[in-house]
Amino acid sequence: MPIARRSMIKGVVASCAVTLLRRQAKAQAAGPEDAAQIDLEKAKAEGKVVLYTSLDTQIVDAINAPFTQKYGIAVQYFRGGSSDVTSKVLAEADAGRPQADVVDASDLAALLLMKERKLLKPFKSAAAAAVASNLRDPDSTWITDRLTQAVIQYNSKELGSAPPKTWADLGKAALNGRLVYFSSANGDGAPRIYTLAKHLGWDVVKAMAATKPLRVQTPQIITQVLERGERIAGFLQNDNIAWRSKRQGKPTDYLFPAEGVPTEIGACGLLASSPRPHAAALYHEWWMGPEGQALLVKGGKYSSRTDVAPPEGSTPLSELKLLMLDYAEYKRDKTKILDQIADIFGGEWGN
Amino acid sequence: MQVIAPAGTARGAPAIAAAAPTGRFGLERILLGLGVALLLLLVGYPLLWLLLGALGLPQSIGLEHLARAFTRPQNYAALVNTLELALGTGLMSVAIGVPLAWATARSDMPLRQLVHVLVALSYITPPYLTALAYIILFGPDAGQFNRLLRALFGLTSGPINVFSMSGVIFVIGIHVFAFTYFLTYTALKAVDASLEESAQMLGAKRWQTVLRINLPLVAPAITGGTLLSAIDSLALFGPQAIIGTPAQIVFLPTRIYATIGSYPPRWGEASALSLLLVALTVAGLALQRGYLEQRSYVTVGGRGVRTRRLEHGLWRWPLTGFCLSVVFFSAVAPIGVLTLTAFSNSWIEPLSASNITLAHFQAALFTDQVSVRGIINSFKLATAAAAVAVALGAIVAYLDLRTTLWGRRLLDYLAILPLGLPGTVMAVGILLAFIRFPLPIYGTIWILLAAYVARFVPLATRSANASFRQIDPALEEAGRITGASWWLTMRRVLFPLARPGLLVAFLLVFIPAFSELSATILLYAGGTETIAIAIYRLNDLGQLEVVSALAVFTIGVVLSLALLVNWLSGSSWASGETPIRG
Repeated sequence: MPIARRSMIKGVVASCAVTLLRRQAKAQAAGPEDAAQIDLEKAKAEGKVVLYTSLDTQIVDAINAPFTQKYGIAVQYFRGGSSDVTSKVLAEADAGRPQADVVDASDLAALLLMKERKLLKPFKSAAAAAVASNLRDPDSTWITDRLTQAVIQYNSKELGSAPPKTWADLGKAALNGRLVYFSSANGDGAPRIYTLAKHLGWDVVKAMAATKPLRVQTPQIITQVLERGERIAGFLQNDNIAWRSKRQGKPTDYLFPAEGVPTEIGACGLLASSPRPHAAALYHEWWMGPEGQALLVKGGKYSSRTDVAPPEGSTPLSELKLLMLDYAEYKRDKTKILDQIADIFGGEWGN
Repeated sequence: MQVIAPAGTARGAPAIAAAAPTGRFGLERILLGLGVALLLLLVGYPLLWLLLGALGLPQSIGLEHLARAFTRPQNYAALVNTLELALGTGLMSVAIGVPLAWATARSDMPLRQLVHVLVALSYITPPYLTALAYIILFGPDAGQFNRLLRALFGLTSGPINVFSMSGVIFVIGIHVFAFTYFLTYTALKAVDASLEESAQMLGAKRWQTVLRINLPLVAPAITGGTLLSAIDSLALFGPQAIIGTPAQIVFLPTRIYATIGSYPPRWGEASALSLLLVALTVAGLALQRGYLEQRSYVTVGGRGVRTRRLEHGLWRWPLTGFCLSVVFFSAVAPIGVLTLTAFSNSWIEPLSASNITLAHFQAALFTDQVSVRGIINSFKLATAAAAVAVALGAIVAYLDLRTTLWGRRLLDYLAILPLGLPGTVMAVGILLAFIRFPLPIYGTIWILLAAYVARFVPLATRSANASFRQIDPALEEAGRITGASWWLTMRRVLFPLARPGLLVAFLLVFIPAFSELSATILLYAGGTETIAIAIYRLNDLGQLEVVSALAVFTIGVVLSLALLVNWLSGSSWASGETPIRG
């Protein structure tokens, strides 16, 4: 069938040509290497910035609005769980079609993996001076923007006088069928479970799993389930979500167990392949700067900046016993850890 | 069985000789050649990559991904759950589809028209929306029905938990039973009353007639419908994820999604699992076709069939009760609760004057960034996908019916093949194919267009085929003989005559593309979100009221277009020309 063959050849030639043109267009300007080099005019000329983030949309919207107002640069964002964000960045890198300029995820292991794959660009942020040195990359490819504590949240109508005060309390048989926790199918809830197990032993985790807790996709849904009284307590809930629910006058409260509180390091960085490097750097500095971080705190998050106060009415981090995760180890052993958690809780963890 | 039979099996009009050559680069050849190339690129090439991906390419080559896919306990559990789901929904589709079909096709039950229309409504409602509705209705404790039951019986917790295997089977079952219903309905309508009368004249009692005459005649339709229901349920990523994930139950499509959605993405394992899902689907379809071919009792000749409605006396009332409760759970309750939620300040509060608001529609249609973008993208994508699919479908149908070119049957088969492939599988193939040279369109809206065209081109091909077949080739020949060029003949003779059929084909692609979820979830990026993605993501954030508003909007669009199709094609829902979805 000569006709089809002929036009097929034509089609292939045409598509190759298109691809080559695209490849050429993709060679990017490097953009600024530190905050002092940011060129406002170039940033404005780039017109917009694309952010991939796992932060709650209400906070992202609050941070973006004044940025766009101030600089006239639109912020387009993709919001998903940390795994969604990371797998999209990796897949787009594989495709050679970078979409994102700035990436933020609440799982430092994800940024470590991106760094390892040379996807992140070193950038000396002005915020470095205000962030503890163990919370930023010596090579400046990532910097911590927030710390999320995993708390016990509960329905205060049901448990007001005697809430479970420790992780061990949550494993008691009286709470069978009354607990809720979260993880997406991609295992976003796993790092904090592993942190708890690492510090307090797997038995604590197994006891909680034995109560047959309800699993929901996100922390936002934990709080809804508790507000409705569908379950009476949630474990390893995001502190900011619990904080917001309480401040809105919903019938919930939360506490930081004395045995220790798993802390998750959320970090951000610039992508080496960023199509809009100037706008990206400008946005990064807004996000990490005192104003952006103050808006983050207003949404209930703890800032990584030492010069920004904790959320109103929250316990300062210095008064809490924080349980940290070795993210390099977590990145290395991720499959094994997820297998272990899937064995205990069942269901899909992306392992 | 129209839904899956390739259009190339039973030929009506014999193909006329290929039109006289109009030069080596005639418009005819260029257009047709382009169509063929596009089809190979969009359907053949991704399927090839599915195989290559399972072998570990392009990083390496070997059998370790296949081995891993079949030896990991997680994957094994996913396979077992998927089979259990298929079996459960298959049985459920018989249990409710057959009595309903009997009631509407052959009984004197009141309200049978209403029941028929509501089954169609439950079929066109995207199943992930039904799943969301069922969380509102039967969430373990706070679901509206559970709260009612708790209040009535003084229970401390809700007695029914939708987050369970039976919950998933129920929610998917009340969607897919429509296959069994429509096929059985059509078959029952085709049973000639004279056969029943003969039996009764020979002294058979009514139950004997049903058992010995009707049942054997409609058994192939029942079996075919059951298999189709089971096969469709395998592929429905939406409800599997929305209900299965909280229930801790993993199915193959959700498993494939998780192997790519967790980091780093495991392409090889995802491809291998996709092949497994393809194998299940193909086995099911082969079984269905084989069964139909062996057991077809043809009683219908060229003449019309006279059917008789049987009088059921007092039995009418329990039958009516049963039918109404099925359509209540499959259509009225889910759509109703989504509508109520969309208009409530808070879905958990009872509906009252102070609890009514339009704010969620405002958020869904005007203010929420992702939602608004999703609506615009879905309209654009569905329009473009439908246009391209109709063009391709018309080319395939033309080659098949009007030429004797070598390989046209193969082409026809390629254009029908995606109908049997789950959206998740198509998406993995397309992702692997279009993430790299020579056409790296991953991350752009083009990859979604490619996926929608590839998924839904069978619907357009079948429709175009049916429509061209009704047009006598002699009309085109007359055009050519009087000196018109090929293109002029197309423009002035074939297209005008086929226009109503092609418009139906356009809508049949537009409807499922508009609300597509299972392929989109693997292929979208920031900026290319669709309605289904907005719904899925907002649901993750717990914004159930805005989600409901968006759901009501989506159902509204889909329903209006489906009514338009019905009106244009002048046929009933029972024609089998119903859009697929996933």
